[in-house]
Amino acid sequence: MLSKSQARRFFVGGTAGFSLVFLWLTVDTITQTAERSNEQNLTAEVIRGKEIWDKNNCMGCHTLLGEGAYYAPELTRVYERRGAAWMQIFLKDPQAMFPGKRKMVQYHFKDDQIAEVIAFLKWVGEIDTNGFPRKPDLIAPTASSANATASVGSATGSSAATPPALFTTVCQACHSLAGTGGKVGPALDGVANRYTEERMDLWLKNPQAVKPGTAMPNLGLSDKDRTELTGWLMTLK
Amino acid sequence: MKYASQRIAYVYFATCMLLLSLQIVYGFIMAFAHIGYDVLHDWIPFNTARATHTNLLVVWLLCGFMGAAYYIIPDEAERELYSVKLAWVQWASLVVVSVTAVIGFHLNWWEGRKFLEIPRPLDYLVVINVLMFLFNIGMTALKGRRFSTTGIVLYTGLFSAALLYLPGMIHFNSQVLDSYFRWWVVHLWVEGVWELIMGALLSFLLIKLTGVDREIIEKWLYVIVGLTFVSGILGTGHHYYWIGAPRYWLMVGGVFSALEPLAFLAMAMYVVAMSRKGGRNHPNRIALFWTISCGILSFVGAGFLGFAHTIPQVNIWTHGTLITAMHGHLAFWGAYATIVLAIISYAMPQMTGRKRYSGWVAEWAFWTSNVGMLGMTGAFGVAGVTQVYLERRVGMDFLTVQDAVAVHFIGLVLAASLFTLGIGLYIWDFIAHGLPSLEVLETRDQDTAVKAAV
Repeated sequence: MLSKSQARRFFVGGTAGFSLVFLWLTVDTITQTAERSNEQNLTAEVIRGKEIWDKNNCMGCHTLLGEGAYYAPELTRVYERRGAAWMQIFLKDPQAMFPGKRKMVQYHFKDDQIAEVIAFLKWVGEIDTNGFPRKPDLIAPTASSANATASVGSATGSSAATPPALFTTVCQACHSLAGTGGKVGPALDGVANRYTEERMDLWLKNPQAVKPGTAMPNLGLSDKDRTELTGWLMTLK
Repeated sequence: MKYASQRIAYVYFATCMLLLSLQIVYGFIMAFAHIGYDVLHDWIPFNTARATHTNLLVVWLLCGFMGAAYYIIPDEAERELYSVKLAWVQWASLVVVSVTAVIGFHLNWWEGRKFLEIPRPLDYLVVINVLMFLFNIGMTALKGRRFSTTGIVLYTGLFSAALLYLPGMIHFNSQVLDSYFRWWVVHLWVEGVWELIMGALLSFLLIKLTGVDREIIEKWLYVIVGLTFVSGILGTGHHYYWIGAPRYWLMVGGVFSALEPLAFLAMAMYVVAMSRKGGRNHPNRIALFWTISCGILSFVGAGFLGFAHTIPQVNIWTHGTLITAMHGHLAFWGAYATIVLAIISYAMPQMTGRKRYSGWVAEWAFWTSNVGMLGMTGAFGVAGVTQVYLERRVGMDFLTVQDAVAVHFIGLVLAASLFTLGIGLYIWDFIAHGLPSLEVLETRDQDTAVKAAV
């Protein structure tokens, strides 16, 4: 039967042995991290972004690399998902974007601070995370949008087949199309039947002028972006 | 109680009760925010409530460990505490640091690194505080007449916990390395050295409550803490799957995390076997209840539920969802909260001479808090699984899914109310014990002495 001194040897030996292995793997991890996280892109702007991230305890609500709290969305791939334009609008006034929904603290960031946070999240988005977060697999995400664009394409010709990037990053944060997207604003299926091109353009330019008190935020889009978006939205018959 | 200086433990235990109550308040704030009632948003936004909730947990557990050490180390070393005055100073500084940190969280003053939110200047104060503590119990043990395994394991656990706090203070510009070394503190604490502390406290309680031979209990203590480290050190790998660390961590973390429940299973079997084996029928059944629930729920919460989502194939979907909250709640409750409540339940009658353990209050406190916590775990579990499927696997929008799972947070609030009732009863019982008294100083565990005579 096991004696007490044998038990002690198991404890001391096991701990020492596995600690050494752990240290060795740590050294190897540190050496590999530079490449896996693109350390050459770790600019002063990114580092300032991380400081803002830490200083305001963003992880107290969000997760980043899956770490943090579960009150607000996962942000590892937010740059890819929402794009800089949306993040800029959102960080200016977070509570305007999802009115009546879960609130983010208004931090009154200055424009350069917003740029730093975005730079940080862009850098994080490019880390090799071994495949996290994985793309949804139960309903193939391309299937529903392919159907949407296919029907749009057949109705209007091939030029409008793919939505502009701004549509998927910005609009779909709140609106859905063919079931994909947010539920904060109304679905955009058939929106072209409800708006004229002129009215749509004005709506995107200044929502309050069309419908005072609306929850739709002024996105501050450039004329070119707005025209492109309006043109595409008008194909959604 | 054998030594007058052991009474200092009372101050630490009382602080535990206060901090635990506050922790629960902040838990409710978050649960209501999840349902949509974030009415305190302007004063206590979610990230403040969250940091306060988790940091209060860490501080009250540490406070409980320290109180336990001040009670146990003199008992094991067979002498008075080295310096009672130093223990008071250390307690006061701990309170000052905690209060400052909590107020700071409400003023957006923090570091924003999960679980290690307290700002850097306060980190240094924590280090000084812990050094004071280690010096005090270290000197007590050194000058003592007996070096017991339980004492040594407890001291090693506390010392390593202090040492492992340091990697969390290194500054990194890279989020990857920042996260990598943050887990050295968080993981190696809760799935490493804290288990040493927990194991030592369990073995102290088992020696006192069951009367099984010290040599046997301590032999198995070595086996258990050995298993803890053999699995737990490389088990840190389950935090390294997706943070930018190399791919081999999926294999290393996966295999060793799968072994981690073994340490907890051993712990559960150890507690149950020893309490069955014991010939001694200690009258403080409630302390034994808490001890057994610690053994069993740490296996369920930390071991089983931890294992359930640390397999990489599962974790890639569940990582960073409410599933983690499910595991976190039962793990901390089972492994650490119950052991602190067990030692308090054991020590209070010893220190005050009031044998309240046969009353209904203590018993109801035990059952309602445990059932309440199991209910909370269930609510988090259902919400978590739903979130994983709708958001991660189907690809639905985050806020839409949160609306869909909000109903489970009503369940959470109900279970939490039951839990709070239990904790309320526990605290009532704690207060009803009154203050420690010198009249109960005895050379032996008085209850044991009575029973042995019978």
